Amino acid sequence: MSRGSVGLSVIVLLLPLAGLAFLAGETASFEWTSLWRDAAWRASLAVTLYVTLVSTTISLLIGTWLARTVRIREAVWLSALLKLPMFVPHVAGAYLFLLLFSGGFPFYGLVEANERHHFVVILTYVWKEVPFVFLMMLGTYGQLNRGYLDMAKTLQLTRFEQFKVAEWPFLLKPLLDSFWILVAFISFAYEVPALLGVTFPELLGVLAYERLTTGLFLNANESYAVALVWTLLISVGAFVSYLVTAKRRRRIEKGVRR
Amino acid sequence: MSRVLIISFILFPFLGLLFGLPSPIRLDEVLMNTVFYVISLAVINVWLGLGTAWWLIFTESRWRTLVEWLVFIPLFIPVMASMFGMYIVLANVGLVGTYAGVLLVLLVSTLPYSIRLAYNAMYVIGRPLLEQTMTLPPLPRFSMVLFPLLAATMRTIVLFSTVIVLGQFVLVQLIGAGLIPTVTTQLYQSYAGNDVSLALQNTWVLILLPVLLYIGLGGLFRAAVRIMKERLR
Repeated sequence: MSRGSVGLSVIVLLLPLAGLAFLAGETASFEWTSLWRDAAWRASLAVTLYVTLVSTTISLLIGTWLARTVRIREAVWLSALLKLPMFVPHVAGAYLFLLLFSGGFPFYGLVEANERHHFVVILTYVWKEVPFVFLMMLGTYGQLNRGYLDMAKTLQLTRFEQFKVAEWPFLLKPLLDSFWILVAFISFAYEVPALLGVTFPELLGVLAYERLTTGLFLNANESYAVALVWTLLISVGAFVSYLVTAKRRRRIEKGVRR
Repeated sequence: MSRVLIISFILFPFLGLLFGLPSPIRLDEVLMNTVFYVISLAVINVWLGLGTAWWLIFTESRWRTLVEWLVFIPLFIPVMASMFGMYIVLANVGLVGTYAGVLLVLLVSTLPYSIRLAYNAMYVIGRPLLEQTMTLPPLPRFSMVLFPLLAATMRTIVLFSTVIVLGQFVLVQLIGAGLIPTVTTQLYQSYAGNDVSLALQNTWVLILLPVLLYIGLGGLFRAAVRIMKERLR
């Protein structure tokens, strides 16, 4: 039974890679410098980096902190509560935030949807991604050997140093995984920023989809090129970050070689 | 104090649901399409997820590392980017604008998560326990041992795939060529057309579907396990 399903899974999993290969084929004769000369793409790159990095960082910080709190204080109510946003698709979440932040009552004037700083976009992503990070980190904290922390306490290290030597090395791998999953997810999506963003500067995903679908696909290659370049950038970033941390991660997983 | 802050941060977006009267839910093509995709993808994801994870746990094949990479990599590729590429592929084979094409692309965006969830669960249960079940013939093996052990994981896989599927607008719109309306695509149209009560109804449906499915499966699985236990007594 399992061999057949593996075969099918492999075919399905190969499809995105085949898709990327086709993107590369389609954009072979594309003039790449034209992207940089277009002010819309330049502005889009800047605002995409800003929204992605801010929402990812905040989600990682809050998610990790909550996982830590739940493990240390055994706050079961918190893990039950954090399940709630996981039942809400991104689209529905974005529409709820839109209703709250554009209708008037009670946040009106303070923060608004559809403004240049994309605060509500970031807020929506943080609300949706914190439970995801929480789940990723909860497992890690569950497996964490408390002996290291006790040892650090016995040695009278400061609280920061306790964290640095007894927790941080173990958090590195799941944090890196979550970081790149979130970056890939947030930086090139349409649903949330299309509802809550502005028409200029647009996030990369929104601009790419709009250029692709307006005007009889005449600008299709431009969107294909952006999708390809952005995927390559993320892959290179992920690859480099895993390479740089490889030695430390291996030491955590397999122990120091004697 | 921080407790109050966290609770209100998590709960306050749900206030939006009370911002108006949603139009009544009707069993039309839009809802039927959505339910069709949710249920078929839940079934396929559970089947392929558990099957592939099982293979990964037990195999001694030299292809194991390659398959592991194939499961890992799609998580780091933006769904929309690879979907632009798949659009070109599917357009060449004539699957754009068909139910099958949309189903396939939705499966591509959910399967890596399902395999990972299933693999983690089986890894925690441990290979020795799973190996013992090999003495049983396939059907009792699944119904008496694997199903009770993996029921919670199957429910999580269904929840994850459902929420991802319901969140896809661009994918359904582009691969479906605008011909296959779902609740998600309708939400964007009613939002653009300023139809707040319809958009609110869509939002209610998008949240209620995963909740009902999760609660329903919970009850169903509990009942099934109870029947199984009584039969064994």
